[in-house]
Amino acid sequence: MSQSLVKNNKLLIDVGSTYFKLSSVDKLEQHFRDFNKGILDDLMHKCGNTIDAFNKEDIHICSSANGGLTTLIVGITNTFSLKYATNIAFNSGINIIDTVLYQNIEEYSIPSDLIDVVIIVGGINSNGDIFSAQLFNYLAQLRYSNIVFVGNELDVPVVEKNIENVAVLPNIIDNRLHIVEDYLREYLTNLYQKDIEGKEDIKHLYDITSNQIFPTPYVVNKTLPLIDAKFSVVNPFILLDIGGATTDIHYSKDLVDDNIVTENEYDRLVFKKLGVYKSKQSLIFTAKSNEFVYELLMHLKVTENIFEEQSEKATKILMQLAIFLVLCKISHYKKTYINLKLLSINSIVLTGGITKVLTKEEIESIISFFYKKILNSEHNPVTVLDSNYDIWTLGAEGEELCQ
Amino acid sequence: MKVVTGVVGNDIHVVANRLIELSLNARGYEVFNLGVNTYLEEFFDAVVETGAEVLLISSLNGEAEGWSREVKLLKAKYKHLDNLIMMIGGNLVVGSANAEDIIPKYKNYGFDIVCHQVDLNTGLDLLESFIKDREVKDRDTKESNE
Repeated sequence: MSQSLVKNNKLLIDVGSTYFKLSSVDKLEQHFRDFNKGILDDLMHKCGNTIDAFNKEDIHICSSANGGLTTLIVGITNTFSLKYATNIAFNSGINIIDTVLYQNIEEYSIPSDLIDVVIIVGGINSNGDIFSAQLFNYLAQLRYSNIVFVGNELDVPVVEKNIENVAVLPNIIDNRLHIVEDYLREYLTNLYQKDIEGKEDIKHLYDITSNQIFPTPYVVNKTLPLIDAKFSVVNPFILLDIGGATTDIHYSKDLVDDNIVTENEYDRLVFKKLGVYKSKQSLIFTAKSNEFVYELLMHLKVTENIFEEQSEKATKILMQLAIFLVLCKISHYKKTYINLKLLSINSIVLTGGITKVLTKEEIESIISFFYKKILNSEHNPVTVLDSNYDIWTLGAEGEELCQ
Repeated sequence: MKVVTGVVGNDIHVVANRLIELSLNARGYEVFNLGVNTYLEEFFDAVVETGAEVLLISSLNGEAEGWSREVKLLKAKYKHLDNLIMMIGGNLVVGSANAEDIIPKYKNYGFDIVCHQVDLNTGLDLLESFIKDREVKDRDTKESNE
């Protein structure tokens, strides 16, 4: 089956937290969501004619509208167990709310939110007797829906005895300290799927498709090896998907000095509360805490009063701020889970609603401000805008072709 | 016995690193080789994940000294590494210096065994005798406690 044939017969739908996007061979539609209506009602009201023209088996849907799953990871080292589990979770479309270093577990505060899945990891299979009462006491205070153990085999009996309903999967660290991704990734992807099916709003989408609904970040990640088909993107690159609720960053692995050896060429990172619509207040809060933001506002010729405004201009400024803050968060300026070698980047690809609001020049102005101010460099990566949402279309096709 | 090994810092002497792994294997150790360009935190983290009893750091281009100054501080952050045998070997300075000057300096950095420009087998013999001495000491302590 050729790729073009697949494309001719398909309707691809992305349900985001703020917009619907529909793509068929002859047209592209984008609609702002009506939050007073159910997703399917709203979708059929706005795009019913388009959807009715396709058979259920020819409609493919991806969604990030369920907000994604949250996880808390307990591991015994930063470099191996916590890092490996974090990497797998991010690449499965999961949002990390916290990581806990087991030796200091008693010093951590207990998150008040309900956690969708707790991941416990640590030790190679020949190293046991790691987890004990400290872990069980901590877990007893947590509120969570699922819990999975992916650590050493020797601790499985004690873990199973002391943690109710724990799922036990093969260790994600092999005997050479390498990462084993498949089992945990499959478990997390299935949980995500169940979450979608369980959410009243989203499960109705199965009325119009007979195909599996995938998480949007998963589909985008599938796109990256195919990206050359649509864009002149020069490796290494980062892809920023600045959405209404979260911001996703997908990056070439060449951009990190990492001890993780996997088959993926690209990894994903997500900032959960950095978006321009649902997470607007959190974005403004983050902006106000950044020491360079006032200079940036001056550079954009506005004052902080813009944060109070509800206008097209205010949305533009928020999106420009989001680009700046995301770049800060992944640079060496802020120490996080990973820091990317931003001076080595040749291209920055932007997708999501941002491409409909900002011009290429407005985006380049922010990127150049960031490089000068934070990295003290004249480096100027090429900016590529995915204005036609080819990123997720390509990914959805890639997924279809793989099946 | 489990040994974590690797080359510290910005040092890419991969042949020496491989020889150390082969020699350790030949002597019956279970080796976890982190390879070249390894940071201190990775060494300690690998010890925690594997439950290794020995950490053998090598350095061929004299990088070790800069990194070794951080060893005590970093190791103190780990709660269960008090019994870890810490060994370092290779060319431990830039330029030339006497082993008599270098060994006390590195022991002060927190290493139990220091091998500066010593051939590999001699170094590993030192490790074996250190392990035997410690076993005897531990047995004596245990008996006197009983």
